[in-house]
Amino acid sequence: MGGGSITTVSKNEFRKRDLFYVVPMWLLSLVLPNPVPHRKREFQKRDLIYLAILVVLPLLWRDFHFHHLMVLAGMNAISALGLSLFLGYTGQISLGHAAFFGAGAYTTALLTTQQGFPSLLAFIISAAVSASFAYVIGKPILKLKGYFLALATLGFGEIFLVIVRETPGLTGGVVGISGIPWFTFAGIVFDTYLKQYYLIWGVLIGLLIFSKNIVRSRMGRAFLAVSASEDAASTVGIPVAQTKLKAFVMSAAFAGFGGSLFASVMATASPESFSLNLSILIVMMVILGGMGNLYGPIAGAIFLTWLTDVLAGFQEYSLPLYGMIFILLLIFFPEGIGTRLGFRIVYLISYWAKKRRREKGKIE
Amino acid sequence: MTSWAYIPQLLITGVTIGAIYALVAIGFVTIARASQIINFAQGEFVMLGGVITFVLLNKGFLPYPVAALLAVLIVILIGFSLHRLVIHPLRKASLLIILMATLGASFFMSSTSNLVFGSLPKSLPPFSGSEAFHVWGISILPQSLWVFLATSLLLILLYLLSHRTFIGKAMEASSTDPMGADLVGISRDLMLLMAFGVSAGVGAIAGILITPIFYTSYNSGTLLGLKGFVAAVLGGWGKPSGAILGGFVLGILESAGIAFIPSGYKDGVAFGILLLILYFRPKGILGSPFVDSRRW
Amino acid sequence: MSLLTLAEVTKRYEGVQALNRVSLQIEKGTIKGLIGPNGSGKSTLFHLISGMERPDSGRIFFREKEITSLDPHKIALMGLGRTFQTIQPLGNMTAVDNILTGMDRRLRGGLLSCGFWLPRIKRSEREALKEAKGILEFVGLLGRWEWPASQLSFGEQKMLDLGRAIALRPELLLLDEPAAGLPPAEVDALSKRILKLREDGMTIFLVEHRMEMVMEIADEIAAFHHGEVIAEGSPDEVRRNDRVIETYTKGKKTHA
Repeated sequence: MGGGSITTVSKNEFRKRDLFYVVPMWLLSLVLPNPVPHRKREFQKRDLIYLAILVVLPLLWRDFHFHHLMVLAGMNAISALGLSLFLGYTGQISLGHAAFFGAGAYTTALLTTQQGFPSLLAFIISAAVSASFAYVIGKPILKLKGYFLALATLGFGEIFLVIVRETPGLTGGVVGISGIPWFTFAGIVFDTYLKQYYLIWGVLIGLLIFSKNIVRSRMGRAFLAVSASEDAASTVGIPVAQTKLKAFVMSAAFAGFGGSLFASVMATASPESFSLNLSILIVMMVILGGMGNLYGPIAGAIFLTWLTDVLAGFQEYSLPLYGMIFILLLIFFPEGIGTRLGFRIVYLISYWAKKRRREKGKIE
Repeated sequence: MTSWAYIPQLLITGVTIGAIYALVAIGFVTIARASQIINFAQGEFVMLGGVITFVLLNKGFLPYPVAALLAVLIVILIGFSLHRLVIHPLRKASLLIILMATLGASFFMSSTSNLVFGSLPKSLPPFSGSEAFHVWGISILPQSLWVFLATSLLLILLYLLSHRTFIGKAMEASSTDPMGADLVGISRDLMLLMAFGVSAGVGAIAGILITPIFYTSYNSGTLLGLKGFVAAVLGGWGKPSGAILGGFVLGILESAGIAFIPSGYKDGVAFGILLLILYFRPKGILGSPFVDSRRW
Repeated sequence: MSLLTLAEVTKRYEGVQALNRVSLQIEKGTIKGLIGPNGSGKSTLFHLISGMERPDSGRIFFREKEITSLDPHKIALMGLGRTFQTIQPLGNMTAVDNILTGMDRRLRGGLLSCGFWLPRIKRSEREALKEAKGILEFVGLLGRWEWPASQLSFGEQKMLDLGRAIALRPELLLLDEPAAGLPPAEVDALSKRILKLREDGMTIFLVEHRMEMVMEIADEIAAFHHGEVIAEGSPDEVRRNDRVIETYTKGKKTHA
């Protein structure tokens, strides 16, 4: 603090005007993620605040469009959450996750339209199907590192699309499958965006609790160890290949859940929805949310869903703008938008406070 | 059955498209050798070469050779901008971030092309006649011969440049031993900039060569880029000779494959080959100096 | 009983004979030191024992079972741990998490049981945490237990690596230059800790350049040169061995 000799008050004295700066910082600390990594992984009281906000939000803000966006964001968040276990924690790249999402959607589509399966059963089977695909292709692929793994997953995603397009008998080809019934459970038909919101975010919260449990247990440590140093991990008995595979299968299952909900909400499933662009978008959500983080990717999902919606308003400029913003986000937030966000905000507030104090000091 | 009868004809198509894949693959390898970066926007350079030439020819009313040359120069400038605006700011970022950034750049370039130049497929006049001539029952387009000729010339030119000129040798040095090159005053950054320029130029030329045969549209670049990468890995990642071999092999396999599988699966062939190579022989056909080393 | 046995182990890298028909044994409950000039093959030997690389010929036995071509994690699960010359802190976790990771083989729980946080998982985590803190105290890092590993100093990270290896509760612990880069006071503390580990029943195989440390704590020493064992025996015997003296003074002259 440079203005020590100018102000007439000693540094340690509490002034009423300090409240002005301290109160917002305290309020923020209630809400922002805790920067201490060990405690970050346990459940905390602030999680209840998040939950409360989530439950109450759509009732307060009864805008149709907002509900629609949050429904989309929720589905993306489910995929992003799953991918974060593989990418954020285990440190492996997958550019083909849209294929697992799509597999879940098509499974649900086929089971509910042609076979008349109840929604919940289709939901579970869809995740199982995606997980099985992941198991089969994961075993050989996960030996690869870095760019090669990214490319192999990308290749798998493209092959999935080609197969879907070329087997119209099964998947409806380019047109896809339509007329998928709404998700029904315990007599409730989830046909409005509001109901779907609670369905999807309810599923997300369940998956989040599951993921959080994994992350704070030995499984989570195994994932992180594989990411930090495969040599060190194998030295303490962690089976690296098996661990990567588990993370991969888990993330695919989550994407399968998301895809199943997508089918039940959108009522159609067609190839354009599951392209490379979706895979890239999901990866971006995890990156922006920060690696080694569970809430981050969810926030990233909300942010990117909202962003694509806003950009859509720019008509033909939307795609180039999207590309540009994408690159800018990567340049400025490679470690995620929220990383050290708490510190950044605190720094900003204290900077502003010091500036005010300096000016006041000069006047006094 | 008569599927096999189509093979000779398909071979010609295969070699033609293979030459293009080879050029795209060389573009990848040039940048990867200078920096370990894989430029997923490589295919976009090809697309832009064709599209910009079309615009200069038909809207700018420039003579064909001038339009082509100018287009190549413009694309080289775009390559430089890609380095300065995207790659350079991310020089300290992780592999994942750079990969995503090049994907983003690829998306930006293709969607901007759509915005500025429209979404209709563009075509260019063939260099000499458009009448195919027939040899042994196979019809060969004159343009195919041009593609083959131009590709060979270009590859010879690149070889001479990298082994006989100072800049070329500097780039080779920088890629073989980055720190050593740094210590003798070769700026890695400048070499990388040059690498982007070369890749962009080669890509643009490939685009101009191929557009008279296959149409070019704003979204042709993405698939072409991916296939070019597959070709580079197939032949032996990191080696220019591997890129060339891989390009031709991929082109031939892909085209010959049409004789046996439904045409809709054609694009899947490249990815299928990719997965096979990555599972069974990641080093590629000619072997690779990079795979297995700690860098990858 | 011989805990670790190497029989005619040979490894060649392009143009360099790293190990040439190396045979040696380690008795249970002892500390064996491995000394030798740089490039004599010491780290290669460790890589082969821990399973990260395969020998070209020869066999390796641990607890009377052959481990020559086993995967590294399987070897670790049998009770053979190691540290690395270049420290490998798991920087994305806290110090205590690093230790807990070391304890992995003794923790139960797969994806589903962890995900549902079954009561046995909860219990196991609680007990593991206590044990982990105990290990941190042993290596002198208890005060930093919640710190991200990446923020520890170099010496502290070395101790963390050691703690993680100890957490495995291995029967045999390979230490690859554990004292490298540490100031004398910490080397002292390290020596005491290694002796304490032996007291508790661990067998230790130690590669180290600091002669005073090795001579002081090792029960037996093997001297290496150009991938061959040139002397083996008690510290005094090795110290007085002609070939060893020759190698070490010669080594000092030729290595610039």
